[in-house]
Amino acid sequence: MSASSLPFPVIVPMLRVPILKPMFLPFPFSLWPRTLLPPLFLRPTVVKFPPTPCRLTASVAVVVNPGLDRSDISYSRTTAVTRKPCVNLIQGLERVKEISRILRVRREIEELALTYYKQAYEHETFLHVTLQRKEILGGCCVLASCRQQRWPITVGTISCLLNGDPAAVGEVYQEMIKVLNIQAPTFSVTDVMEAHCQEYKVSPGHVPEELAEDSKGLTKRAIALVELAADSWIVTGRQPLPIMMAAVYLAWQSLKPNAQRLKMSLEKFCKLAKVQKSKTAGTRITEMKGMLYKLGKEIPWYKEVLTPDNVVSLVGDVLQHRFSLLRRALKSHELSLLEKCPAGQVNPSSAETSSSSDVSEDAGQTPVKSSVNAEKEKQGRDGDESLKSPSEESNPQTQELTQNWGKRVLFAPPCVVNAKRKRAERPPLHVTGDEEISDSEIESYIRTPQEARDFAMMQEKLFTSNNESS
Amino acid sequence: MDESALERYFDESIIHDSNFVLEEELELQGPRRVLSSTPSAQRPSQLAPKSRATGRSGDDLDLSFLPDELGGQNGPGFSSTGVLTCSQAVPPETKVPNDGAAGGGSDPVEERPEAPELSQDSGVSLDCSALASAAARPLQRTPAAELSTAASPFCVMTPMTPMTPMTPVTEGSGIVPQLQNIVSTVTLGCPLDLKFIARQARNAEYNPKRFAAVIMRIREPRTTALIFSSGKMVCTGAKSEEESRLAARKYARVVQKLGFSARFLEFKIQNMVASCDVCFPIRLEGLVLTHQQFSSYEPELFPGLIYRMVKPRIVLLIFVSGKVVLTGAKERAEIYEAFENIYPILKGFRKHLLFLPLKGRVWLH
Repeated sequence: MSASSLPFPVIVPMLRVPILKPMFLPFPFSLWPRTLLPPLFLRPTVVKFPPTPCRLTASVAVVVNPGLDRSDISYSRTTAVTRKPCVNLIQGLERVKEISRILRVRREIEELALTYYKQAYEHETFLHVTLQRKEILGGCCVLASCRQQRWPITVGTISCLLNGDPAAVGEVYQEMIKVLNIQAPTFSVTDVMEAHCQEYKVSPGHVPEELAEDSKGLTKRAIALVELAADSWIVTGRQPLPIMMAAVYLAWQSLKPNAQRLKMSLEKFCKLAKVQKSKTAGTRITEMKGMLYKLGKEIPWYKEVLTPDNVVSLVGDVLQHRFSLLRRALKSHELSLLEKCPAGQVNPSSAETSSSSDVSEDAGQTPVKSSVNAEKEKQGRDGDESLKSPSEESNPQTQELTQNWGKRVLFAPPCVVNAKRKRAERPPLHVTGDEEISDSEIESYIRTPQEARDFAMMQEKLFTSNNESS
Repeated sequence: MDESALERYFDESIIHDSNFVLEEELELQGPRRVLSSTPSAQRPSQLAPKSRATGRSGDDLDLSFLPDELGGQNGPGFSSTGVLTCSQAVPPETKVPNDGAAGGGSDPVEERPEAPELSQDSGVSLDCSALASAAARPLQRTPAAELSTAASPFCVMTPMTPMTPMTPVTEGSGIVPQLQNIVSTVTLGCPLDLKFIARQARNAEYNPKRFAAVIMRIREPRTTALIFSSGKMVCTGAKSEEESRLAARKYARVVQKLGFSARFLEFKIQNMVASCDVCFPIRLEGLVLTHQQFSSYEPELFPGLIYRMVKPRIVLLIFVSGKVVLTGAKERAEIYEAFENIYPILKGFRKHLLFLPLKGRVWLH
């Protein structure tokens, strides 16, 4: 029976106070009949001792209540009043509200975020962390609820709002997901694209006419470019922001590919659009241009020499016919590979394939059946990465292709195509773990006495000189 | 049997048997199936527009008939006239959760028909029973890639006998993950004077302000050890369990030689890290959608996908280049098992349609 279950507040102190004076009671307390004791008696009961000057220690106080057992109850529990909500929790909730309002999310998202925050805050993982971490937790709750409600924002946005490090945000986010046991699907680049395009101030009101671009058209083209880039493995595993910036830049250039726009560098464009330039966006632009060049090469009506630089003017055409161009590019790539390898063997080309086969299933396009067939024939036998034919080994060029499958295919992730040289690997030791360990080897790891003395002397000298200099 | 040989096999079978006809049948639903049972006389005309397949050498398979969305439904897809239809068997042990659609919050309309095949680790029972040579030998393929979508021409073939879901015979990936690092601990059983060790040993460094242990290194096997004053030691950098044990013993011997009564107690391997390369690019975005419970892919934070496998309890880092890092194992077998589990899943994302909930957008291969 706990004190809190009693209908009245009972103050039962746990005292370890020596009581010096004996308590004079009219009647030995212990002999009072229980029924006579009033229920509201609040004083601690002390075992009565004979009135001798002795030190009494009341180590425990007992709730006097007829019929109840005299178990110990702690002070903090019995004096507990209704807990006030933690101040930091309230502040955290306010912060979550603030973040949601800044992002202008829907009401449901805000409420969901608040629920998550309350839940996560109370959990032991987050209860005793620093205030800064709690603030990051608030941002993560907003992020999780946005993701669940399909409101596209990036981790970068949240970390900007929190003025925090994205890595720290990510860490707290992962923990929070585990604690709350929820699932929040990530966004792809195309989801976030629209919101991102809004940031670029290149609509007719903001910039001169020749440089202006309607935001809807710009967004549409940028999204198409990002999707195409995703097909060519430029997007997976990369930071989304530089890709988005590159896509918007190329889209803007290609929508009106006059000399003025083509000459404008990324930096100037960012200044024009009043966005902060990202360094890696330049690399992405190069990669995208490379991809567009590979596709643009297949355009039958373009008679001039195409280079990755002047491909921007063709972007519109490339995007419009991207599926058939993709097929043709794959086909010609296959043919070129066959040419490289001597005739008489079927060269199973690896990973690159299926876009053409998949293309046939794309709703909006009319597949060109003949080319589809031809390609499927060649790609049907793929899946086998290793080139088995011995004659290929002899050819150094194909050997290089063998080792780096990225060079064999039309589109591959750039990290594969530009593979870094591997460190020289250690040959594996074949040991049993129980071999004899030679003494000489162990001796080689131990200093000779002279060495040890020299070392100690040198350390002392260093130590003293450090002390002097500091 | 490796894949290319299998593929070649089936090509030949198509060439040689004129009974086989490629049919426009992947969705095994009622109205569609009616097509397959049309009398053979009509078939040549039906196929004329897409004919080329049978006429030429077996490698030309006309797959243009494959519909935009492939229902992963399976059912007996055969007809008495020996027409080939494709069907997919769902193996009873599908490791992958099928609620990728539900959990993802993605557009259910698009996801649902595709999720089953994306998430299935299914095998196709290919039974060329009509072939004299085949003698009704069922051949199965585990990799989902081979059968789902249009990618593989072998989706087209069907068994004559009704399809029953069979446990797929795993061919094995043929790739063996290489161990890269082993972390082990040993108790030396006696307190140590770290300052003394740092003075007396050539290969030791000790900076108490930075870290409260001596860092010792030996050349063979090339490893590093952290030796604590309590007598506990951590040995890292070995490439195999035996190497780690040998290295730990050498460190213990050094400490012994320095005058401490060190013993070699409770040697235990705490962690093993391995890596390998599957040699094809992987669609991480698709993988995170279908295996949401296990995967975490945040390109803004880390370029790889973190896959936490439940059984065995291993964490895999999967990268777009096809390189996979496996960690968290206490035994070598766990690593191999984990890789054999993940390989079919990865193959499924190799040449595969990805249906992401973006305005009906299809991500290719």
